[in-house]
Amino acid sequence: MKNVLIKTTINGKQVELDVRPNMTLLDFLRDEMGLTGTKRGCEVGECGACTVLLNGQAVNSCLILVPQIDGQEILTVEGLAQGEKLHPLQESFLDHDAVHCGFCTPGMLISAKALLDHTPDPSEEETRVAISGNLCRCSGYQQIVDAIRETKHVGES
Amino acid sequence: MKPFDYHSPRSLPEACLLLAELGAEAKILAGGTDVLVEMRKPGSYSSKAVVDITRISSLKGIGESGDAILIGPLTTHAEIFHSRIVEQYAPLLKAAVAGIGSPQIRNRGTVGGNLMNAAACADTVPPLLALNATIKLLSSKGERSIALSDFFIKPYATVAQRDEILVEIRFPKLPANARSSFVKLGRRNALSIARLSVAAILVKSDAGVITDARIVTGAAFPKWQRVLEAEKVLIGQKPSRELFDAAGKKVSEALISFTGRRWSTEYKEPVIAVLVRRSLEACQ
Ligand SMILES: Cc1cc2nc3c(=O)[nH]c(=O)nc-3n(C[C@H](O)[C@H](O)[C@H](O)COP(=O)(O)OP(=O)(O)OC[C@H]3O[C@@H](n4cnc5c(N)ncnc54)[C@H](O)[C@@H]3O)c2cc1C
Ligand code: FES
Ligand code: FES
Repeated sequence: MKNVLIKTTINGKQVELDVRPNMTLLDFLRDEMGLTGTKRGCEVGECGACTVLLNGQAVNSCLILVPQIDGQEILTVEGLAQGEKLHPLQESFLDHDAVHCGFCTPGMLISAKALLDHTPDPSEEETRVAISGNLCRCSGYQQIVDAIRETKHVGES
Repeated sequence: MKPFDYHSPRSLPEACLLLAELGAEAKILAGGTDVLVEMRKPGSYSSKAVVDITRISSLKGIGESGDAILIGPLTTHAEIFHSRIVEQYAPLLKAAVAGIGSPQIRNRGTVGGNLMNAAACADTVPPLLALNATIKLLSSKGERSIALSDFFIKPYATVAQRDEILVEIRFPKLPANARSSFVKLGRRNALSIARLSVAAILVKSDAGVITDARIVTGAAFPKWQRVLEAEKVLIGQKPSRELFDAAGKKVSEALISFTGRRWSTEYKEPVIAVLVRRSLEACQ
């Protein structure tokens, strides 16, 4: 097995790395980059805990081979806050008690960002569709939906 | 995951050469939503090489050519969903991809992967069969076009050779007076893999008489096909609930004559009849 050289942008930083191809983007982020905010859940595309943005689109990082991100841009939950300043979505999740155990939260935040980037004022239905690939076993979803819909000042990050 | 060599050809000739060289060792990778799940299963096949075709830009996109719609196999379900062309000329395909997996799956999963994987529950198959689609397969030995109705052997088996790349999906535009629908029953709303689905197309004359009818069920028969017996019941008639019920009954009968009675028949027989009726009503 030959390693593959990839150049990619992760949370705004360019990285160039020699990687084993038989690794998922999820394993790469967590085990090689130390970005453990992206969660490992089902690993078969069903729970959404591993959701990241790939060129602005929500995807399951457990279903992507790491060489496939060569030349692409990745955003993980760690890339949402600006230093100490939380992203408005994160503030809103806190305000609405949308974080219980927190395992689904990174994926939820990323799916929510993908939604708000295109639809700044989503309906309840649009919001529910946007997070339909993210399972939460604690909250019952309503607080999450409210938190997303009542997020202030998005679009500047 | 077992070790493998990774290749990402930039052009079709390069991809064909690679596949010819690698032979049975190679696995084609598109959106990966089926392949990655499969590769991780314990005891799964171990391909020594993965050929990632997603860098071949000519395999992406939706276009028109005269009366035909052309879809590149790498077009994602999300792209099909947002396509004006599909919305106008093949709305049942839009309806089908809208319900595939989740937003994350629709952003990665491709129509080509859906056809080539050939799962019994592949949601793009019933609409594309109803649209009388043909596909093009390419390998280093040449290109061939075949009707989608001749492509599937049974779930997870097609007539494609291992070194063949699906390069095009093509179907005639639906006429302006056609109405179409796709309905599916799943276990859960999002992420539901269809257990039963129906794609239907109806064309009516100005006098309201049905002149063309196409019905394809998903995940019901051991092989996908248009249910001609049921379509015949509709042609030359005016739509009514009784007529649609009769067509639904024909589909159920066809199902039983095909599969014989088995454990799931008790459930499928009445359900499929109702689903067919609903799909026809949705074509009004
Ligand atoms: C959580 C989850 C939910 C899902 N829900 C649904 C659903 O509701 N409905 C549904 O229909 N499917 C569903 N799927 C299955 C899957 O997402 C689709 O079948 C998808 O369209 C596959 O496309 P892909 O590009 O990801 O294919 P890949 O995984 O990349 O490939 C699939 C197969 O096709 C071959 N292949 C791909 N492209 C080509 C090509 N151009 N030429 C030759 N061979 C090729 C590959 O070698 C492989 O055998 C789901 C999957 C997951 C993980
Ligand atoms: S870990 Fe990727 S979807 Fe569950
Ligand atoms: S907060 Fe626990 S899974 Fe969502």
